[in-house]
Amino acid sequence: MLRISAVALLLGLAVAAPAFPQEPATRAEADRQRRAAKNDNLKPYEPGGFERAMHFVEERGVFILGREGFYPKIGSLTTGSGFAYGVGYRDRDLFDKVAVLDLWAATSLRRYWAAEARLSLPRLANNHVMAEAWAGRRDYPREHFFGLGPRAARGDETSFAIRSDLFGGRAAVRPLSILMAGAALEHLSPDLGAGKDPRVPSIEERFTTATAPGLGESIDFLRSTAFLEVDYREPKNAREGGWYRVDLSRFSDRNNRQHSFTRVDTDLRQFVGLLAGRRVLAARLFLSTSNADDGATMPFYLMPTLGGNDTLRGFREYRFRGPHALLLQGEYRWEIWSGLDGALFYDAGKVADRRRDLNFSRLERDYGFGFRFNTDEAIVFRVDAGFGSRDGKHLYIVFGGIF
Amino acid sequence: MANISTSSLAAFSRRWVAVSAVALIVAAASGARSAGPRFYPDDPLWVDDDRAFDASKTVEIEDTNGYDFVVNTFGHPGERRDVRAMNVNTVDEVPDSTWFTNRIGRRDLTIADLVKGPDIVDRVSLDGWVVSAGKPSGRQPGFRMTDPRGQLYQIEVDPPSNPEMASGAEIIGTAFYHAFGYHVVDVYLAELDRQALVLAENATIRDPLNGHRRRLRRSDLDLVFDRAARMPNGRYRVLVSRFAPGRPLGNFRYSGTRPDDPNDIVAHEHRRELRGARVFGAWLNHDDSRGVNSLDMLEISNGRGAIRHYMFDFGSILGSGTVFAQRHRAGNEYIFESRPGWLTLATLGAYIRPWMRIDYPDVPRSVGRFEADAFDPEKWKPEYPNPAFDNMRPDDAFWGARIVSRFTDEMIGAIVKKAQYSDPRATAFMTQALIKRRDKVLSTWLNQVCPVVDPKVLADGTLTFGNAAVDVRAATPADRYGLQWFRFDNATDTRTPIGERQTVTAATGRAPAGLLGAGDYVGVSITAEHPQHPGWMRPATFFFRRAGGEWTLVGVERG
Repeated sequence: MLRISAVALLLGLAVAAPAFPQEPATRAEADRQRRAAKNDNLKPYEPGGFERAMHFVEERGVFILGREGFYPKIGSLTTGSGFAYGVGYRDRDLFDKVAVLDLWAATSLRRYWAAEARLSLPRLANNHVMAEAWAGRRDYPREHFFGLGPRAARGDETSFAIRSDLFGGRAAVRPLSILMAGAALEHLSPDLGAGKDPRVPSIEERFTTATAPGLGESIDFLRSTAFLEVDYREPKNAREGGWYRVDLSRFSDRNNRQHSFTRVDTDLRQFVGLLAGRRVLAARLFLSTSNADDGATMPFYLMPTLGGNDTLRGFREYRFRGPHALLLQGEYRWEIWSGLDGALFYDAGKVADRRRDLNFSRLERDYGFGFRFNTDEAIVFRVDAGFGSRDGKHLYIVFGGIF
Repeated sequence: MANISTSSLAAFSRRWVAVSAVALIVAAASGARSAGPRFYPDDPLWVDDDRAFDASKTVEIEDTNGYDFVVNTFGHPGERRDVRAMNVNTVDEVPDSTWFTNRIGRRDLTIADLVKGPDIVDRVSLDGWVVSAGKPSGRQPGFRMTDPRGQLYQIEVDPPSNPEMASGAEIIGTAFYHAFGYHVVDVYLAELDRQALVLAENATIRDPLNGHRRRLRRSDLDLVFDRAARMPNGRYRVLVSRFAPGRPLGNFRYSGTRPDDPNDIVAHEHRRELRGARVFGAWLNHDDSRGVNSLDMLEISNGRGAIRHYMFDFGSILGSGTVFAQRHRAGNEYIFESRPGWLTLATLGAYIRPWMRIDYPDVPRSVGRFEADAFDPEKWKPEYPNPAFDNMRPDDAFWGARIVSRFTDEMIGAIVKKAQYSDPRATAFMTQALIKRRDKVLSTWLNQVCPVVDPKVLADGTLTFGNAAVDVRAATPADRYGLQWFRFDNATDTRTPIGERQTVTAATGRAPAGLLGAGDYVGVSITAEHPQHPGWMRPATFFFRRAGGEWTLVGVERG
C-alpha cells in the first residue's frame, strides 16, 4: 500500500513538474524566464501619498499663489500690520503682455485694511521705459507714535489710526540696464483718527498739534517726486554689487499750504561677496532730510521713522520719528545651506529735529542675529532678533526681506 | 512481539526510503530552478533582450523636481548594498539593451563617428519651420518648432549673461554620452531670425502664469528672446533638439524598477551603466544627473511595446548652470548636506567649505564656471544623492574609467569643437580642462582594483594580459604580478587551485603543466603589487572555457 502511495506521489510530482519553468539551457532563456515571471505579476504603478502631494504643490500650488485671475493675497500690508490675507485679481498679459493689472484687498490680524488697483506697463520701448498708475485706500488703525525727535520716550507710546486715499502714477526710463531715472505724481488724502490699540492710549490723549503736527487735521497732498536709481546687485538677493537711490519729493498741501515741505531721501546699499559669495558683508546708509516751507510744519505721519524690523531692529516699529533721519546698518551674512542664510547685524541711527543734528553722535544702537530663507531673487521669510538697545529685546518674524 | 517489531521496522524503513526519495526529487526540482551553472553556453551575453515582453501598458511616471529632491535627499530610495552590479554579463561588461549600447567601450570609433554622435543630419536649417508650441517645463527658455515633414523639435536659447554656454554644454554632453553608450536625442546648433518666425495656427502654450493651455502668441516668444543671448548679427544661436520617437512615459528613476514593465527586472541602483554614470558625471561635471533629467519612451515594434531609456538635458554640465554660470557648490556638495551646514551654522560661518576657496580661472563667458585643478573625482557629487551613484563600487568605476580612457586628446578636442564657440579661447580652455579631468578620472578609478585586462590563454599554456592603468599612463608598471591558477567546475561552481602561486614581473605567465589537458574550464586569479596602488592587490579573476582547440575568456571577477 505504501509502495503504491509513494509511486503515486512520484507520478504526481512528475506530472506536476511541467508547471515549473523548464531548466534554462542558456543565459538568454534564464533572463527570459525571470521576465516571464514578472510579466505574470505585473502591478500598475501607484504613486504614493507624498508623491501625489508634491505633484499638487509643484504643478498646481505654485499657480494658486501666482495665478492669473483671482489669487490669494497674503503677506504684510505695512510694517507692524501683522500677517495679512485677502484676495486679488490680476492679469499680467493685458494688451498682449504689455500691461499688468493688479487689484487686491486684504486685511491683517491687527485689523489693518488696504485695497489697491495698479496698472503697470513695465517693459515699454524694449525694456527702456516703464510706467504705472495706481489708486488705493489704506486703513491702518494701530500705528504707533512715541513723540517726535530723538528723545521720544517709550513710556509715551500711543497709537493713532490713519486712513489714506491715494492715486498717482510714475514713469521712468532705463537707458542702461543698471540705471533708472523717473518721476512720479501722487495725490494723498490722509485722514487721522483715534488709535485702536487697546494697550496704549490714543494719540490725542497724550499729544497735541504742537507736539504732533498735523494731528486732527485733514490735509490733501500732492506729492511730486523725481528719482534716480542705480542697481547692479548680483543677484537681486545680493551677494555682490550695489543699489543706490535718491528721491527728491515735494509734498504740496492742497488745502492751505501750511504743511508743504520738500524731502530728500538717499538710500545707499553696498554688498561685498566673499568666498564664492557664500559670505556677504552688507552695508546700508539711509539719510532723509526735509525742509518745510516758510511758516509751514511737516505732518508727523509723513516724517521718516526708525525702529522696527527693517531699520533699528532693537526697537519697536516707528519708535523714532522726525523730519531728519540717519540710519546705518551692517550685516554679515553667511550661507548655511542653499536657501538659508544666517546673519549677524548691527544697526545705528537717529532722528533729528534740526538738520545740523544729523551727525554720528548719540546714535541709537542695536545688534542681533537672524535667519533668512531665500532664493537668488529675494528673501522669502526671515527671523531677526534684536538686542542691545535701551528698549530691550525684540523678535521679528517677517515675510519679506531686508536691505 | 519481536515479529511485530521487525515488521514495524521494515515498514518504517520502506516509508523512510519513499519519503526520502520524494524529498530528494522535490529538492532536486526546486534546486534545479534556483541554481543553474555559473556559465551558460551563450555566455558572455552581449545583448540583453529586454524587449522580450510587451510593455505597452506601462503608464507615465513624471517626477517633479521637488519630489525627486526631497525623496533622494531625505529618504533612501532603493537598496544601498555593496553587491556586484546585477546586469553585467559574465565578463563584467554591460550588454546592449534598451538602456545602453556599447560604443567606444567595445569598438574603435573614428573622430568623425564621435563628433557625429546621434545626429541624423549634418546640420539643420530652420527655413520652412513653424513655431508649434511653447516649452512646458525646464529652466532654459525656449519653444517648440515643427519642420516641414512634421517632425517636432525643441528650441532653446542661451542666457544673455553667458552666450553659447548652455547650448555648447548640451552639444558636448550629447556627443560624449552617446559615445559612452547611452541613448540620447540628437541636438543641433542653428541660427534663428526672430523676425522670420512663423506661428502655426494651432500653436498652443501652457500659460506660465496659470497653467492653462491657450493659444501661443508672439508676445510669448518675446519673453523667450528677452532672456536670450543675441548674436552680433542680430540673430539668435539656438539649440535644436529632435523629439525622440515613441510615446513619452516620463522619466526613469535611479532606484527600483517599473512595476508595470515586464522587461525591467534589475533594480536600477544595481545597474552597472547607472552606477558607472557617476564616473562620466564627475568627468563632465554633470551635477544634474538625476531621474528628472532622464526620459523613457515607449516604442512599438511588431505590435509589441518596449521602453527605451534616454539620458538627456545636458545644458547644465561642464561650467554651465543653464541660465547662469555654474554655481561654486555644484559638483562639490549636495544642495543639502547636513554636516557642513551644521558646522557653518555653529561657527557663524568660520567653517569654510573647501569648494569656497576654489579659484576658478578667468575664461570666456561661454565656458561658464569650470576648472580642473581642484577637481577630485572621488569627492565629486551630483546635486543630491543618487542611489545608483551611491552604490558604485570599484569594479563599476573601473568599467566607467575604461570607457573614459578610450578618449584621446584629439577626440576630446574634436567634440569640444562641435560646440562652435566663437571665442577660440573657450575651445582651448574646455579641451584642456577636459583632458586634465580625464587624467584625474583615470588615475583615480583605474587604480582601485587590479587593472589587469584582456587576458589570453594560448594553446601552449602561455598567458598574456594587459594593464589598463599602465596602458593609458595612469600608473607606472607593477613591481610584480601574482598568479594563482585553478581548475573550475562549472556545475558546482568550485575552484581547485592548481600549482604554486606564480610571481612574474612582466604581463605574461604560463599555465601549470597538465592544467589545460583536462576539463572544460580553467581560471587564473591575478594580483599586482604597486607601492602607490594598494587596490591592485584586490584580485582580478579570469575564467576560460575550452572552445574547439582554444581557450576563450568566459568570466571576469574584479574587486
